[in-house]
Amino acid sequence: MRKGDRLKEKIIKKEQIGKWLEKLGKDYEIWAPVKKNGLVSFYPIQSAKEIYFDFLNSKKTPKDLFFPQSEVLLSFPKEEVGKEVKTILQKPRIIFAIRPCDAKSLALLDQVFDSEDYQDPYYVERREGILLVGLACTHPQQSCFCTSVGGGPFEKAHLDLVMADLGDGKYFVEALTQLGEGLMQRDDSLQDVQEKDREKLAKTKEEAEEKVKSKLVTKGLEKKLDKIFDSPLWDRVHQRCLGCGICTYLCSTCHCFALLDEKDKARVKRIRNWDSCMFPEFTVEASGHNPRISNRERMRQRVMHKFNYFVERYGETACVGCGRCIQSCPVNIDIREIIEEIRNE
Amino acid sequence: MQESEKELREVAKKLLLEKKVDLIIGYEEGTLPLRTRPIFIREADETKKLVWNFRCENNLCFYLKMAKERVGIVAKGCDIRSIIGLIKERQIKRENIFIIGVPCSGIIDRKKIEDILEGRELLEGIESDSQIILKGEGLEEKVDKDKLVHASCKSCKYRNPVLYDTLIGKEVSQGEGEEYSDVEEFASKSDNERWAYFNDEASRCIRCYACRNVCPACYCPQCFVDQSLPTWFGRTLHPSDTLIFHIIRTLHIAGRCVDCGACSRVCPMNIELRMLNKKAEKDVKELYHYEAGISLEELPPMATFKMDDPQEFIK
Amino acid sequence: MNDLYHPRSVVIKKTVIENEARDIKTFELVFLDQEEREKFEFSCGQFAMLSVAGAGESPIGIASSPLDDEYLHFTVKRYPTGVVTTALHSLEEGSEIGVRGPYGNFYPLKAMEDKNIVIVGGGFAFTTLRSTIRYLLHDKNRSRFKDITVLYGARTPGELIYKSELKQWEERDDVNMYVTVDRGEEDWKGRVGLVPNILSEVAPSSENSIALVCGPPIMLKYTMPPLLDLGFSPERIITSLERRMSCGIGKCGRCNIGSKYICKDGPVFTYKELRELPEAAV
Repeated sequence: MRKGDRLKEKIIKKEQIGKWLEKLGKDYEIWAPVKKNGLVSFYPIQSAKEIYFDFLNSKKTPKDLFFPQSEVLLSFPKEEVGKEVKTILQKPRIIFAIRPCDAKSLALLDQVFDSEDYQDPYYVERREGILLVGLACTHPQQSCFCTSVGGGPFEKAHLDLVMADLGDGKYFVEALTQLGEGLMQRDDSLQDVQEKDREKLAKTKEEAEEKVKSKLVTKGLEKKLDKIFDSPLWDRVHQRCLGCGICTYLCSTCHCFALLDEKDKARVKRIRNWDSCMFPEFTVEASGHNPRISNRERMRQRVMHKFNYFVERYGETACVGCGRCIQSCPVNIDIREIIEEIRNE
Repeated sequence: MQESEKELREVAKKLLLEKKVDLIIGYEEGTLPLRTRPIFIREADETKKLVWNFRCENNLCFYLKMAKERVGIVAKGCDIRSIIGLIKERQIKRENIFIIGVPCSGIIDRKKIEDILEGRELLEGIESDSQIILKGEGLEEKVDKDKLVHASCKSCKYRNPVLYDTLIGKEVSQGEGEEYSDVEEFASKSDNERWAYFNDEASRCIRCYACRNVCPACYCPQCFVDQSLPTWFGRTLHPSDTLIFHIIRTLHIAGRCVDCGACSRVCPMNIELRMLNKKAEKDVKELYHYEAGISLEELPPMATFKMDDPQEFIK
Repeated sequence: MNDLYHPRSVVIKKTVIENEARDIKTFELVFLDQEEREKFEFSCGQFAMLSVAGAGESPIGIASSPLDDEYLHFTVKRYPTGVVTTALHSLEEGSEIGVRGPYGNFYPLKAMEDKNIVIVGGGFAFTTLRSTIRYLLHDKNRSRFKDITVLYGARTPGELIYKSELKQWEERDDVNMYVTVDRGEEDWKGRVGLVPNILSEVAPSSENSIALVCGPPIMLKYTMPPLLDLGFSPERIITSLERRMSCGIGKCGRCNIGSKYICKDGPVFTYKELRELPEAAV
């Protein structure tokens, strides 16, 4: 290990976090997991006391901080243009305690919204103005399968800074980008890493990885899906589906949207809303014709988009294994089973 | 295995073997602790997967809306009231449905388990006659089922099926407590408090429409919320859009809602608007002396007109 | 910064009702800022998002030729449940609307040079083919293409669109025009017969030829076999597809057939490509 690397690692005691965030709060708006109405979601916080550190993961993914479920793109008459959209970020932001899987999902969304041929100005501005402080996942759940889709509970990719709870009242902090380093340097009371902290980190990491019990074989899945587009399998897997939008709206990688106009007396707003491939209206044409006529076609589209079309287009699976769709599906449709069925088909 | 579960499997198997039905819709064990889920069985052998227990939380009538064959359905008291509604409103034909009625002492509200877990993960749940043992990392807790029963089930007066083709197990005692005490308590609050409550609930809505889709009374080919010409209201997340959706849905199912609770159980955002539906139910009961899903003959109040209907509201 | 979704302002200069049912209208649009027209570089087969403030946007194929440099034409069918198409139809000449685009790929005009061109169109789906015909027949271009055959059909005479232009083309001797209807009417003196049947009768040579085909799915389905019989190979049969779209730029996720976005990878596909798509459109 080079000497410079060590400087990028620090230890912070749990009780110090409040002070540190207070310092960061002067320049950044800090969003962190907070529990309200029995649900954990990311909210702007004033004090570290509001943070719910022991969360498994947030109910909704933090993707809506980059790609809001509903946002005004334009408004008419023209003099109004810009009034709605210029205030995307008032202040640079930190998302504090984002999970590695959700950080990975942002890298996947980047492929869609910040690619060579297309930069979505709204998304790009937020992405550039928001720093990601990760919290390694020490309690992966039964429905988690991040390690099967290229992630891991202690994965550091796409974060500016990562923290890991060592379980003894201390957090291991590692800066991964220059900006992350800047955040770390903001507080000089952070302590140096001792060898035993490093050992503790390795052990915690190993334990966390062991907890990811669900293993999916995704190798060759894309090719397999090419062959089974017309398979009767799709008749089976969609049967239970209620056709609601939970799996897509709670998904950290789903990104389909619809543009539409809304008007009041003063003006017209062109709005971008999330949309879901699970809704019949998603593809229905003005003539009334719908190319995806039933839940069968819609479920197939959802699976194909994640595990085949996206892979073909961007070289990666559009799933980070966070398990939200499994936990929240009212009829317990389990993507792990679907993948397994596809592989066995 | 419970006796009733055994009986259920035998009945279902027989129905398929004797070709009385083409399809059995029931429950099987799910992939997460304490979860069951809908299952569709066409082969007699598969009936061994059927389960019946405190955790059978889904209202399976959703699948009847689509079924074109002769279907045997495992149905609780409230589900059967939904079936009656669907028959009366000519969405399904009585002769195509074989009702396997199951007396039910109330079903689980998983949100209550989440409250007990306080953020910890449930790794295993073991159900016994009157208790559930919750197991997690550093956690083992026995909880009385009574404490986990869904609000709709607590005061349910129709725990024993009002209509069935065969009944599984023994009848159970009806729910206790005053049916509308919670509604009355809520109604006694000030306008502002009530409005704040509804706004707060609706503010969490993500418009996934799970509540609508699962609702047995919601079967419009195109829901008003999806119509674009005219567009009845906006599609944003503003409470003025989301709340109006829930309010109109309540009005649309007034006199038809059987308080099965499916809408609140499927909601991923813990939105609790049961009170609205309950209030509508109470009003219909008081104004029209009607309860939804009790008899096949009685005409639905919102679809009939009688000269002596209350009309004071027409000004 | 919000350029991506920002429509350019255009004025409806003229409207023409195209059919008897009066639900198909051609809009002649002029940019408020003529510079924008110059920036709006498109080719035959592309589409644009037309928008009416308050109603929203809708993807419509460009019906004018790239060489019609003063205006754009869009032919729009109004559907009872179509918010934007209904709004567009209710607008009067002089109204301002928005145009965003051009989007999608286009017919392979370059590859079509020095070849015989067979154009087969049906019903209302003749708009981007009309753009192409105008382009091919333009004085500057005609000599670069060999024989041009146009076969266009509609269910009834009243459903034929671009009638005055059809007549002009029929009068030309450098284009073989065949206009047909499925069902004739009393005063109809022209051809009666389904497009695929007339195609077999006319039997244009497939040698050194490219076919462009556009029409309702049912017509496409029955037009492909006779084309193949005539010897057109699948890669020399070009067609154009439609799907519901919202963004027009391959992001909103709804118009895909298999992994291909109709708005970005299409709308123009060869029959060969089409046959490789999983949800066969034809």
